[in-house]
Amino acid sequence: MLSGYVVTVLITIGIYVILALSLNMITGYAGQISLGHAAFMGIGAYTSALLYTRAEFSFWPAFLVAGLVAGAVGAVLAIPCLRVREDFLAITTMGINFVVEATFLYVPFFGAGMGIGGINPPSLFGSEISKPGFLLLVIGVIAAVITVDRWLARSWIGLAWAAIREDEAAAGTMGIDVVRFKVLAFTLGSAGAGLAGSLYAHFLTFIMPVNFGFGQSIVILSMVVFGGIGTLRGPIVGAILLGALPEFSRPAMEYRTLLYGILLLLLMRYQPDGILGERSLLVRGWHALRQQAAPMKN
Amino acid sequence: MGQKIVNRTGILIVLAAIATFVTAPALAQEAIKIGFFAPITGPAAADGASAQHAVELGVKEVNATGGIKGKKVELIVYDDRFSPQEAVAIANKLIEKDQVAGVVSGSYSGPTRVTAPIFAKAGVPMVAGYAVHPDVTKAGESNFRNGFLGEVEGGAAGEYAVKVLKSKTPAVIYMDNDFGREISAGFIKRAQKLGAAIVARQVYKFPGEKDFRPFLTRIKEARPDLIFAAGYYNEAALIVRQAKELGITVQILGEEGFDSPKFIELAGKDAEGVIIATNLDRDDPRPVVQNFLKNYKQAYNYDPDMVGASSYDAFKILVAAIEKAGTDRKAVIKALMDTRDYNGLTGKLTRFVKGEVIKPVQFQIVKDGKFRRHGVVDNPEVITPPTQ
Amino acid sequence: MIWQQIANGIATGAVYALTTLGLTMVYGVLRVLHVAHAGVYALGAYVGLWAFRFTGNFWIGLVVAMAACALAGVLIERFLYAPLLHLPRIIPLIASIGLFIAMEEAFRIVAGPYALAYDAEVRFGSLALGPLRLTGPQTLILTVTLVLLGLLWLLLSRSKVGLAMRATAMDAEITSSFGVNTRAIIALNFLIGSAMAGAAGALIGVYDNQVWPTMGSVPAYKCLAIVVLGGLGNIPGSVLASFLIGLAETLLIGIVAIPFPRDALAFVAMILVLMFRPYGLLGRA
Repeated sequence: MLSGYVVTVLITIGIYVILALSLNMITGYAGQISLGHAAFMGIGAYTSALLYTRAEFSFWPAFLVAGLVAGAVGAVLAIPCLRVREDFLAITTMGINFVVEATFLYVPFFGAGMGIGGINPPSLFGSEISKPGFLLLVIGVIAAVITVDRWLARSWIGLAWAAIREDEAAAGTMGIDVVRFKVLAFTLGSAGAGLAGSLYAHFLTFIMPVNFGFGQSIVILSMVVFGGIGTLRGPIVGAILLGALPEFSRPAMEYRTLLYGILLLLLMRYQPDGILGERSLLVRGWHALRQQAAPMKN
Repeated sequence: MGQKIVNRTGILIVLAAIATFVTAPALAQEAIKIGFFAPITGPAAADGASAQHAVELGVKEVNATGGIKGKKVELIVYDDRFSPQEAVAIANKLIEKDQVAGVVSGSYSGPTRVTAPIFAKAGVPMVAGYAVHPDVTKAGESNFRNGFLGEVEGGAAGEYAVKVLKSKTPAVIYMDNDFGREISAGFIKRAQKLGAAIVARQVYKFPGEKDFRPFLTRIKEARPDLIFAAGYYNEAALIVRQAKELGITVQILGEEGFDSPKFIELAGKDAEGVIIATNLDRDDPRPVVQNFLKNYKQAYNYDPDMVGASSYDAFKILVAAIEKAGTDRKAVIKALMDTRDYNGLTGKLTRFVKGEVIKPVQFQIVKDGKFRRHGVVDNPEVITPPTQ
Repeated sequence: MIWQQIANGIATGAVYALTTLGLTMVYGVLRVLHVAHAGVYALGAYVGLWAFRFTGNFWIGLVVAMAACALAGVLIERFLYAPLLHLPRIIPLIASIGLFIAMEEAFRIVAGPYALAYDAEVRFGSLALGPLRLTGPQTLILTVTLVLLGLLWLLLSRSKVGLAMRATAMDAEITSSFGVNTRAIIALNFLIGSAMAGAAGALIGVYDNQVWPTMGSVPAYKCLAIVVLGGLGNIPGSVLASFLIGLAETLLIGIVAIPFPRDALAFVAMILVLMFRPYGLLGRA
């Protein structure tokens, strides 16, 4: 059996997988750069934590409401984001992250600097689920997110997003309702982050505003790009690799964060498409192998 | 008579030699493992280094004097990078893989707070060096704290400001994190109870704020007779310098976050005369204090700070409990609860109340570039931690 | 009090302008969200401090810091950004973040985790302009910022190189077709911009009397925001944005007394401005 330690690390990674997949909808599919994804994770975490600790909700409804609230706030905050593009958009989303974090930190209702504690893990049939149970829950949520992701990719929505990503003006002239599809991307992506935030809160049992700051957004974005932005496998693999790195790099002790920075830098420099992006070494190698193998079969 | 003593000593030496010989290999295998986590890389690495250095010094001392009942102490060190999710993984690893006898937290509130329920559930004793969040000790009876609660230290500072420094109209400036909010609330509550009126209250962003002039200009306008300032030494040095720059001359009263030789170095001559509430009294003649100050400086070429001293004490308190109770985790927790009049580096610890210490709050003044004793608050009404 | 707060705001604006200046130049020609610029800024502070300790002269330290940062900037451009320019902008951004993290950690490993005092005695007297009274350090930072801005303005508006730099910032392809070596001009922008960052690091190290490994964390995002608010590498725009943000923050904290952190206030202001001017204060579509 897996030890509690391994399960703990796997849960953390799993939560990052959800975060990376949800950011990938906004930034990868719809092409809208976001430097503030952690804000929506925070909105989900705080919604769930407040409902659980103050309104006596159990985890399950709190979890769903967390996704809904984060999605709704994402839709509202997408409106200022519609006015701006590219780097202006990046800075606007970053600004949103700082404002959301400051709200948690300064408004007493949100616990301010003291954070919120006593957020217990979910219960099922009257008893608290075990750690492996929690891991199964996280995996279940990942499976749901992947299902939605695949459905979107095959639907009109996915096509519209791709069109907006490649050329927004052209997409508009083709009759695509750019505003609607952009807001949809922010809503769905934020809702996913909200669900992940709820899981994060009930996993750590205590949350503070700093957990949902700009630094966290950067971590999530790095995972998406590291694995291969705009693909399904990329963000998953990126979240797994960069999520496991803190544990695997423990022997490097005081050099471990340096190692992380250098790894990020080198990968972008030599594999800018990410580990498993379309033009990455691994994927091209795989295609080459398959082509070689194909004639042999005949 | 003399002959007999020689004989007896001789026999003892031989016995000791045999004992060492026989137990030496066993020692290596049966080291007592103590877990330790701190932010060793990332933004909070300075405090992580202080905590790690001090605790490693403690380990060396314990092992040099024969370990715990003949067993060496092995310190398992993990870097939490100031991240709660890393701390959670570390806590599980310390409990399951390393099977430590106890844990010392050399980290901040966030990481310590998330690990507290995990240690409580597993029944692993944890002593926090300087993490201040009040809930750290509330997660269960296995968690202890060597540092002061913000409310206690703030209350003592309020007491000192009004009774000793004769302040009637203090102003308060503090950072927006858990420690800043708790300690300033403690100060304000106590000072008001003793009849003082708070004339200004300013809160700044931590981390990140470097320009305190807008806050200090407001404080100056309110004409306080004392400023109680909360912050860590980087911010503290800037507050003190910028206050002087703006022509503010009233007494500045700081807290344990100021307690680092770095504060004096960064604030330069503007640090002179600043009084701080802390737990380390550099003029305490007890050998435990003077030896630590000397040995730390010798080992690392720096003077120690409050973070280091508090983490060192947390480690030594845990070691004393293991010495008394063995490595059974339950027995160690019981021994920690039964700690009485412990002769600590950061003051004589009367006892733990629900995991919180009772010990006097020290006041130090910066004089000729050194922290010197200024006074102490030991009013039980103030220093007894609230139990609700 | 209001005059003192205005003085505080102007000084903060000068700090922002000084730190952002170099980034604006780099951004103007490369359009890269150069987060590691803040790493170069911290490098300037460390090198300046070491050179000051070695020579005992602050100004020599400043020049050495600028030279070291200029070199670092050229290397970063040559080996990191140049090969990534044809790729989506998010790629150089992540590379830049990786470099910035690595630089912060390298400073900690080399120089230790603790803040170092930068106690060069650069003393300026206080300055009174009518009811406006700047303290000594505030006068220093404002004077230096204005001098550097003036030099930069001279370079850009009065020299052929400056003309080429402005043209490259506007449209590198067209400029290149006129026979200007835009590669060299981009490198020159990086060189000057990074030297400016080095100067900012050393000066602000003295201004605050502290140099520490993560001193670039706040400028890393703040400067980007100011550059973008100013309008895509528009130098007058980013200077204007610096002083506006400095004043807005200070007055909101110091006069209106909104209990909200500085950065959040600044970002609220920025988002509001971008709603009305989606290409920044002085930017054009």
